[in-house]
Amino acid sequence: MIDLKGVGVTYSNGWRALSNVQLKIDKGEFVFVVGTTGAGKSTLLKLLSREETATEGTVKVSGQDLSSLPLHDLPAYRRKIGIVFQDFGLLPNKTVYENVAFALQVTGASRQTIRRQVPYVLDLVAMSHRPDAFPNQLSGGEQQRVAIARALVNEPFLLLADEPTGNLDPETSLGIMQLLNHINLRGTTVIIATHDQAVVDFLQRRVIAFDQGGLVRDEVVGNYRATEAQEETA
Amino acid sequence: MIFGSLTFLIGEAGRNIRRNGLMSLAALGTVTIALTVLGGTLWTTFRMSEFARSQPEKFNRIDVFLPPKAERSKAQDLLEELHKKPEVKEVTLVTREEAWKMMEENQPVLTSALDENPLMDKLEVELKEASQVSQFAQSLRDKDEYPNIDKVLDAGEEVRNLINLSRVIRVIGGGLAVGLFIATLFIIHNTIRLTVFARKKEILIMQMVGATPWFIRLPLLLEGLFHGLMGGVIAGGLMLFAGHLVSQFVTSVHSPLSGEVPSPFLEYSEAIMPFAVS
Ligand SMILES: Nc1ncnc2c1ncn2[C@@H]1O[C@H](COP(=O)(O)OP(=O)(O)O)[C@@H](O)[C@H]1O
Ligand SMILES: [Mg+2]
Repeated sequence: MIDLKGVGVTYSNGWRALSNVQLKIDKGEFVFVVGTTGAGKSTLLKLLSREETATEGTVKVSGQDLSSLPLHDLPAYRRKIGIVFQDFGLLPNKTVYENVAFALQVTGASRQTIRRQVPYVLDLVAMSHRPDAFPNQLSGGEQQRVAIARALVNEPFLLLADEPTGNLDPETSLGIMQLLNHINLRGTTVIIATHDQAVVDFLQRRVIAFDQGGLVRDEVVGNYRATEAQEETA
Repeated sequence: MIFGSLTFLIGEAGRNIRRNGLMSLAALGTVTIALTVLGGTLWTTFRMSEFARSQPEKFNRIDVFLPPKAERSKAQDLLEELHKKPEVKEVTLVTREEAWKMMEENQPVLTSALDENPLMDKLEVELKEASQVSQFAQSLRDKDEYPNIDKVLDAGEEVRNLINLSRVIRVIGGGLAVGLFIATLFIIHNTIRLTVFARKKEILIMQMVGATPWFIRLPLLLEGLFHGLMGGVIAGGLMLFAGHLVSQFVTSVHSPLSGEVPSPFLEYSEAIMPFAVS
C-alpha cells in the first residue's frame, strides 16, 4: 500500500534529510520508526502526509504518486489519513467534542453522522466522559487520546503518529501505544515515529531504523536497538 | 451539505469572537480608533471648508453712497441703472432719513449731539456672485461713468482671503484625509494579519485535518468583517457623541450673552463641530 522507491529529501537549505530510501508497508501493518534525533523520522512521516515532497524517487500511497497529487486534492487526501502529533495539536478554543467533530465538519458530514461518530470514537479512546472540556483542562495523556479520536473519526486507512508519547510520562505512554495497537488490530495501518524504547521492546512489532537519513534496519519483529549480531554485520 | 457547512462556518466566526475575547477586543479597538480618527478628520475638514466657503456669500454686498444732499431722484435713477447690470441680484435704497432713524434708536447719544442729519442716501447692492464683488466695486468707482456716486464700500481683500482659506483647508484636510485613509487601510490590513498570525498554528492543524483553504478562510473573513462593521458603528457613535458635547459647550458659552452672539466665534465653533449643526 505504501511504496517508497529511491526516495531522497533535500531541504531548501541544502540539508539532505533522507537518501535512497526503499520501503514497502502493507495494508494493516503496524510499524515503529526509530532512530536518533535528526535521523529523518519526521521527514518520512511528512512525506506520507504530504507536508513535504520527495526531491528524488517516488512515494506511492494506495497507488497514488504523492508528488503528482494536485494541490486542490490535498485536503481530500488528508481526510483519508489520520495524523497524531507530539504536541497533540488540538484547537485550543474548541471543546473535546468540537475538536473531534471538526475533522468531520471539514468533510461536509451531516449532523446525524457527526452525532453518531463523535461519541463513538470518544468512547473508543475512553474520553466520552469529558466532551465539554477544553484542551487546557485536560492532562497530556487525555489530550493525546482526544487527538487520536480526531484522527480516527474519518475512519482513515492510515494513521501517522510522530512521537505521540514524546510529551508524556512512561505509564501514560504505554496506554497511548496500546490504544494505537488496538486501533491497528481493527484494521488501520499505523506508522509511529518514536524514541520510546520500553514500548517498542514491549510490543514486538515491525521496526524500521534510520540513521543520518538512511534506512539502516528493517525487522518484521524488532526491538528499539539492533541486536549485537546485527550490529556486527551492519 | 454546503448549506450545513455554511451555517457551521458562520457559527465558527461567532465562537472565535467569543472565545478569543482579548484578541477580538484588541482588533475591535484598533479598528475603532483608526476609523474615529479618519472620520473625525474628514468631518472637521468638511465643516471648516464649508464654513470658509460659505463666508464669501455673506460678502456679496456693496454699499454705494450718494453725495451728501443729493436729490432723491438721482438715487432712484442710479438704483434702476444698477439693477439692470447682469452681475446684480438686488438693489435696495436706504434713504438718509431711514438711516437716521435707525441711528437714533441705536446710538441716541450721538444723534442728540447733532442738530442736523449728516447721513447720505445709500444703495445696498447685492451681487449674484461674491467673487465679482471687488471688480464690480472698482467699476463703480469710475467718477466719469458714475458722477453721482460719492463712495463705494466692499469687502475686497477679505473675501479673496476667505476663498483662498477655504481652498487651503480643503487641500490640507484632503491630503491629511488621504494619508489617514491609507493609514487606516494599513492598520486594518495589519490587524487582520495579526489575528491570522496568532492562529498560524491552528490554521496548520486545520490543514492537516483536511480543511480546504476556504473552510479556514471564511470564518476569519467573517470575523474581520464583524470587527470592521462594529468598529465603524462605534466610531460613528463616538463622533455623534463628540459632536453633541461640542454643541453643548458652544451653547453654554453663548447663553450668558443675552441676545447678540459674537457671530464669527459661533460660526467657527459650528465649523469644527462634527454633526452638531446641520
Ligand atoms: N524544514 C526543514 N528545513 C531544513 N532542514 C530540516 C527541515 N526539517 C528537518 N530538517 C533537518 O533534517 C534532518 C532530519 O529531520 P527530521 O526528519 O525532523 O528528524 P527526526 O524526526 O528523526 O528527529 C534534521 O537534521 C533536521 O535538522
Ligand atoms: Mg522528529
